[in-house]
Amino acid sequence: MQRALVLGVALTLGGCASREFDIRTLPPETPAADNAAAAEATAALGAAIAGQPAQGENSPASESAPAAAEAVAADPVTPADAPSMDTYDPWGRLNRFTYRFNARFDRAIFVPAANTYRRLPSPVVKGVHNFFGNLSEVDSVVNYVLQLRLKRAAQSLGRLAVNSTLGLAGLFDVATRFKMPAAPTGFSDTLGTWGMHPGPYLVIPLIGPSTLRDGIGVLGDYGVSYGVNLANLYRGNQEKTWSLGVVNAVDQRAHVSFRYYDTASPFEYENVRFLYVRKRLLEDEGLRRRKRPQAPAAGAPAGQ
Amino acid sequence: MRVSTVSSTRRTSRRLPPLLGGPAAAACATVLACATLTAARANVAGDANAAAEADAATEVPAAAVIVADKTAAAAGPATGLADSAGLRATVFGTPPAELAPMPASVPLAEIDLTIPWANPVPAVFWFDRRLHVWFSAQDKPAPLAIVIAGTGGGGNASKLAVLRGALYGAGYHVLTMPSPTFPGFIVSASSTGVAGDLMQDSRDLYEAMRTVIAHLPARVKITDVDVLGYSLGGANAAVVKSIDAHEGKLHIHRAVMINPPVSLFTSVARLDKLFASSIGSGDAGVDRLYRQLYAEVANLYRASGKAEVDEDFLLGAAAAVLKTDAEFSAAIAMDFRLDLVDMFFAGDLYARTGVVVDPAHPPKVSDSLDATARRLRDMPFTEYFARVFVPYYVKHRSGATSTSLIAENRLDIIGDALRNDGDYYAQTNGDDLILDRPELNWLEQTLGSRIVVYDHGGHLGNLGERAQIADMLTMLAGRWRLPAS
Repeated sequence: MQRALVLGVALTLGGCASREFDIRTLPPETPAADNAAAAEATAALGAAIAGQPAQGENSPASESAPAAAEAVAADPVTPADAPSMDTYDPWGRLNRFTYRFNARFDRAIFVPAANTYRRLPSPVVKGVHNFFGNLSEVDSVVNYVLQLRLKRAAQSLGRLAVNSTLGLAGLFDVATRFKMPAAPTGFSDTLGTWGMHPGPYLVIPLIGPSTLRDGIGVLGDYGVSYGVNLANLYRGNQEKTWSLGVVNAVDQRAHVSFRYYDTASPFEYENVRFLYVRKRLLEDEGLRRRKRPQAPAAGAPAGQ
Repeated sequence: MRVSTVSSTRRTSRRLPPLLGGPAAAACATVLACATLTAARANVAGDANAAAEADAATEVPAAAVIVADKTAAAAGPATGLADSAGLRATVFGTPPAELAPMPASVPLAEIDLTIPWANPVPAVFWFDRRLHVWFSAQDKPAPLAIVIAGTGGGGNASKLAVLRGALYGAGYHVLTMPSPTFPGFIVSASSTGVAGDLMQDSRDLYEAMRTVIAHLPARVKITDVDVLGYSLGGANAAVVKSIDAHEGKLHIHRAVMINPPVSLFTSVARLDKLFASSIGSGDAGVDRLYRQLYAEVANLYRASGKAEVDEDFLLGAAAAVLKTDAEFSAAIAMDFRLDLVDMFFAGDLYARTGVVVDPAHPPKVSDSLDATARRLRDMPFTEYFARVFVPYYVKHRSGATSTSLIAENRLDIIGDALRNDGDYYAQTNGDDLILDRPELNWLEQTLGSRIVVYDHGGHLGNLGERAQIADMLTMLAGRWRLPAS
């Protein structure tokens, strides 16, 4: 009896003490650099608003400006066109279950791994991030072709070529410095371009918020990577493929500031669903602007 | 309030990664939320305004709260002391170029703790059994600054991070705490579950602070303790210091309130009124706002030629889309309403008042909350006050009435301390929408030379700005002298 009591106390102290009060060291904040970057971005934004539309570093202005002016004049989105505030979520019960699983996995494994990774010297982190970004350029090239956006396909191909060579196998993003900014796309965008609706909301295990079309897109993109098999990274040695996948996952996670339930809101599932689907629908509006002016513009990929 | 968080969440990924579209997209979504709020502007001027004013007129008497707000009633689309510039500053925050100098690196640790007196955690809050606070330690003996977030803010809110940078740079250990109105605090550390009472919430906060400080590692040497907070957190900070003056457990030295309210419920009623006048009442108003916003952002996105909706685009969209006072007002009102939704839900659940949560059948972890969220969207604060807060406190505090509860939720409850103790300070703005002229006068008379009122900044629109930070640090160091004017 006494022994059981002692054991109980020991277990309570040993087992629960750490659970009642935990201190976890996080990567340090860098407010000076963050503020300087924000000041720069704001200045660029101010210049963009004052100057030409969309002169921002990310937009290939030569292509977008004329096509956009044409499309917007032809067919602007009106409030009546806006999709309903309610989101189609017929698999809600399963989705909520998966969301909870993802939140737990993220806290227990993904975020700690990403935090550890972020403690590596920043040139290393940046290099790894650029490396995977360069690999995904393959998806962009293939999908821009499938979307018949040949100029963008050429730009992505150019980025891939420049960064794979001058950028030392993608470790450095020299293309952006040469005014060839990234404009990633994927198979889901291709499906959207050809008229496929996003479909029901879908939470994918480990990956997170998605739609049926985006889920198919993920598979399609992996298929393309696997098919192209750049530098034999996706086939052959299983260990290499898997460790590459894990590093990619951790790197991507480390570059995303979202933390499950940071909002502490019981409505987080609903809020994330609303925002994710709205973001994708807005992006679809951008894809649609490409299609409509194409009939009058007779085949010439806009701006060429 | 977190209206202007957009610029400080810039570290997010720009690309939708092939493997991890989810979290990246979710991050973008969070940013989209901020921008949606920032951009949330009602282009619903004209007819909607007229209709909303009529609604406001019928809604308002629901609580006696608004009676005190006559002065602001005539002020057009804005409210309180806000003018056009004040509304804009409130939404956009301090321009990055005007921010005070910050240290290159600030160490950070997250502290997670279980508070023994907390209520049992309801199923829908399965994710949040513990209180989360953030701590930055100096590696030498130093004073501790405890910073409290404003309404709905968590313990690592972006405005707290701004203050943390400045305070750490000035040599303080910094502990940042959530607002007692933050759902995570309500669940993990509130003794009532019903947020909004200045004294009770501050007591819970005080106990939570004590627990945290008692557990800090021994290598952290604390030479002095100060508290500060912004918005509602400012009022909490002052009350925490007054509680400590009686209990003497933390030996809090100085308190600085940044843009505090004077009367909690009057300030909140102003935000209700702002919602009614800029967005309209009911789901129709929110739906109209949403459709307008969606169409405008969609057209901007098409014109931008971008490959994805990212932060740069959203920042630009917010700047391009918000134009009129009514639009800025709508952004502010919507942001506050979204904070209120969580607090209302939690309060109704804990108090078993049955407004949106059936006390006999509380939602289970896998239940859809769609219908509840939709209902809460049209619930103004006056509904929370009348149907959750008052019933709860009438039952649990002897002699409480709705009138007495309004009176108890004013800074006057510590008026003598504010007047006579030279260690209370405040910073506010002459165009802060949560104050009106008599309230600002009261603050100035009560604090005398220990308040600084900047001409411009709206509500927290100059937080982190050079003068605000410099004055705050001078106040905390006890060297504050009001510049002779």
